[in-house]
Amino acid sequence: MSGVAFLRSVMRATALALILIGFTPKTAVADDITVFAASSLTDVLQEIAPRFEAQTGHDVRLSLAGSSKLARQIQNGAPADVFISANSDWMDRLEKDGLLDAGTRRNLLGNALVLVAHDPETPAVTIDRSLDLPALLGEGRLAMALVDAVPAGVYGKAALRYFGLWDDVAPQVAQAANVRAALAFVASGATPFGIVYKTDAQAEDDVSIVARFPAGSHPPILYPVAAVAAAKTPAVTDFLAYLGSVESQEVFGKAGFTRPAD
Amino acid sequence: MEWLTPEEWQAVALSLRVAFWATVFCLPAGVFVAFVLARGSFPGRQALNVLVHLPLIMPPVVTGYLLLIAFGPQGGLGAVLKEVFGVTFAFRWTGAALASGVMAFPFMVRAARLSIEAVDPKLEQAAATLGASRPWVFVTVTLPMILPGILVGCVLAFAKGMGEFGATITFVSNIPGETQTIPLAIDLALETPGGEGRALRLALISIGIAAGALALSEWVSRRMAARIGGA
Repeated sequence: MSGVAFLRSVMRATALALILIGFTPKTAVADDITVFAASSLTDVLQEIAPRFEAQTGHDVRLSLAGSSKLARQIQNGAPADVFISANSDWMDRLEKDGLLDAGTRRNLLGNALVLVAHDPETPAVTIDRSLDLPALLGEGRLAMALVDAVPAGVYGKAALRYFGLWDDVAPQVAQAANVRAALAFVASGATPFGIVYKTDAQAEDDVSIVARFPAGSHPPILYPVAAVAAAKTPAVTDFLAYLGSVESQEVFGKAGFTRPAD
Repeated sequence: MEWLTPEEWQAVALSLRVAFWATVFCLPAGVFVAFVLARGSFPGRQALNVLVHLPLIMPPVVTGYLLLIAFGPQGGLGAVLKEVFGVTFAFRWTGAALASGVMAFPFMVRAARLSIEAVDPKLEQAAATLGASRPWVFVTVTLPMILPGILVGCVLAFAKGMGEFGATITFVSNIPGETQTIPLAIDLALETPGGEGRALRLALISIGIAAGALALSEWVSRRMAARIGGA
């Protein structure tokens, strides 16, 4: 077999394999959209997506993970059509790389940061400079998302820094891959306390909110949304519009998300 | 210029420690279970076989979550071990070693079992008819023959210990200096904007350690072959 013929057959086999494992070319499935979204949006999007599908007939595939992981995948050509990030940094980076349809970008939602406890009997505390977090934790750990990478962890670290609490508590922080994994640590009782979004705490019965971080103690928590540059099907436009609809806003509001202007 | 930050060196040292202890704990238990599976016939043998293979079959996050449930601060086993031996696994490097050991266990058992099954029982019987006691038969006849398989098991277990990610981050989370092994440090670097260089450096170190470990195992196995052949 000549080199060229061999190469051609390898390419053909690769294409076949890709099709078999599901990488169908985009044009064939114009009404399917893939939404990459921060894991803190898991429940609300799982509620919104079927409604959108029922109304429009489009199919929505949700890929939910830490914003940083998703952004990294989009940077490397993941077939995402819409990206909803839990912070602006990663969105800015993708925009700078020319990977977003910048005209479609807007801040979709806001959120708040809370301290949650596993034990429902835990008394409420006030977060300020006098709070003795290590004493509160005892031998236990404080669950957070990765404090230098994942938005929920970054906001949490910033807030603890703001009150001068970070350095003392840092050795006791257990960093999880994303905010939902941090929530799971508290829900299972593996750690007595954790820092998560208010909406995460509301979605989980096995944790209770013991304190709310003042909004000024960390950069504003915003969820920017944008269409990914590579894909601009009508379904994407429809989906972006649907996220702003009264119906969607009601789902977001019920889950505890705020309007970004608040 | 510093090639790696102190925190990254910590991750390298920790990975070596975790992989080493995972292998050390896998070794005797793995060889024992391999013997039981290869030679034993008892009710529940198949169940044991499935149990041993579970870490290979289940998604690593499930293994990690089960470890968290069992050995976490709220888990029964965790409380007993802390009470009796004073050992804590949850959110400690010991937990990272435990997770790696559990994930590596099926590799150790499979490799050891293959070599045990390849031993001709007639050789052992011959030694016994010549008056050797059972332990002496094991040490002088069986063990030399299965050593290469055990060595392969150790290499696989160590490799698994160096590379384990899913069960580790689920069970003991990512704590710099305590549970942040090389794979977890690479994951963190990739999650951080501009962390590609750091991830690449750590990956290269990982490859270097793997190459070194392989070379060492080749050398040991050559020496072993020479000894067995010369005996």
